[in-house]
Amino acid sequence: MLNRFGLVLVVLFVLIAILADIISPHDPWDRFEPYEKPNRNHILGTNDIGNDILSELIHGSRASLIVGIGAAIIATLLGLLVGLFSGYFKGALDEIFMGITDIFLMIPRIPLIIMLAAFLKSSIWLIMLALGLLWWTSTARVVRSRTLQVREMDYVASAKCLGFKNRHIIFSDILPNIFPVVVPKFMLTVATAMISEASLSFLGLGDPSMKSWGLMINFALIKGGLVNEMWWWYLSPGLCIILFVYSIVSLGFSFEERKKVNLR
Amino acid sequence: MLLSKKKALRYLIALFIIFTLNFIIPRTMPGDPITNLLGENFIASEATIQELKIELGLDKSLSFQYLDYWKDIFTLHLGYSYHFNQKVISIIFMRMKWTLALLFPSILLGAILGTLLGALSGWKKNNLGNKATTWAFLAVYSSPPYFLGIIFLYVFSFKWGLFPFKGFYETGTFLDVLQHLFLPILIMSTFAASRNYMIMRGSVLIEKEKLYVVYARAKGLYGNSILFRHIFKNASLPVITLIALDFGFLLSGALFVEIVFSMNGMGTLIYEALLSRDYPVLQGCFLIITIMVIAANFFADILYSFIDPRVKEKA
Repeated sequence: MLNRFGLVLVVLFVLIAILADIISPHDPWDRFEPYEKPNRNHILGTNDIGNDILSELIHGSRASLIVGIGAAIIATLLGLLVGLFSGYFKGALDEIFMGITDIFLMIPRIPLIIMLAAFLKSSIWLIMLALGLLWWTSTARVVRSRTLQVREMDYVASAKCLGFKNRHIIFSDILPNIFPVVVPKFMLTVATAMISEASLSFLGLGDPSMKSWGLMINFALIKGGLVNEMWWWYLSPGLCIILFVYSIVSLGFSFEERKKVNLR
Repeated sequence: MLLSKKKALRYLIALFIIFTLNFIIPRTMPGDPITNLLGENFIASEATIQELKIELGLDKSLSFQYLDYWKDIFTLHLGYSYHFNQKVISIIFMRMKWTLALLFPSILLGAILGTLLGALSGWKKNNLGNKATTWAFLAVYSSPPYFLGIIFLYVFSFKWGLFPFKGFYETGTFLDVLQHLFLPILIMSTFAASRNYMIMRGSVLIEKEKLYVVYARAKGLYGNSILFRHIFKNASLPVITLIALDFGFLLSGALFVEIVFSMNGMGTLIYEALLSRDYPVLQGCFLIITIMVIAANFFADILYSFIDPRVKEKA
């Protein structure tokens, strides 16, 4: 049940992000009367410069989802490649790859991104790339240990005997068997990336040219949303982050648990 | 030996690479390197800038600068903040203790709470209470810690006035400090607990199907004593790895929570440094955080080999 609930929410959020232009009541950059309370025209009120908060929220889903899913795709692809090769070939390659993984695991990622974003002009593409290039390590480890198991199976041995090339064995024989571990890992990576994006935007390091949920919380806080008790302003983007991350994380964990039952 | 040579080498390489990154970033980023090294708040005449360039060694070649950089690190000379008008290292040491005062109790409480509840939840039948706990921890797991901070601050401090609204001064009594630290520690330890809970739960779910559990049952042991005397030790191994790997992540979380509660720690320092573009402080913080994270991993490795003797034998 939890699973279905998560799936419905994820699909809903993705649809909202795609259809943002059609369903949002106003242009998020249009300016109305600032600091308006929720009313019929502006269901969630307006912010300090008069943007309609509901429209901001709908358009903000784009930046948040792009960063989260984009970073997770980069991280998962990197982790998959590193894990597959180092698990399949073992030996020196494995030593080198796992050494690199261990080193990357120790880099304090958020502080590093803060440093980079402070020196460079921040954009969601930079944040997405940086998160993706730093977050592949745990996927690589999981994929490697699964590959080590799978490569010893009989069907892999028979593929070798039949003379298939290593590349063919890795990508068409082993990869499908790695998938059940990669899918939940991918979902957890989306979650971490989205939380990180929200945190960076909160520091004012987000992309100012694009609305995002983290940036909305940041503005609500520094422009007096909290002290003026305008809870609809800072609570709604926060709840959106929590809801989306919650649904994708619960999907990931339920996938993991179901998989264990099937394996037994 | 406590640590294999291979592991020790990896630690050294990690330190080397991260420190080198810290050298490269301000010198290769767009903009004037003198601004990148001194901060944007720094305005001086042309003559002073020339003098400072010589003092900072910017007139020398990059390789010489790099050697000087390492010399400075070993003598703990991390530069001067013109924004705070103080040495970077002394600012960081002053602020660091509050970050640690938030972080360590949270990690400890989170580890105890998360592993205990997670173990029980994986062991017991899946009843309503069990499901509710898992949902609640998942919700915490999914939220950015600073957002929880905002909500707690609003409800407990702003609405009900139970806790102070802002950070504290260095002169407060122990009780004073405790009152100010209560909410931040509460948030960070539930956040840490939620991560440990999910891992421990999954780990117990796997371990309880193993044969030694059946044997313990056959020996006549009762439910909870099987869990705590036999399963717990094996199941908690992944959690120990997680706590070490999570240290950096929780540290970043703590930095953000500090900002929300205006605590006088490193998070607020980084925030102030960002707002005033005070690059020396930013770099100094990054270095110190790196050392802390690597040290945490190092201790976890040693702890791991104590708890799981199999690791030591392999090494």
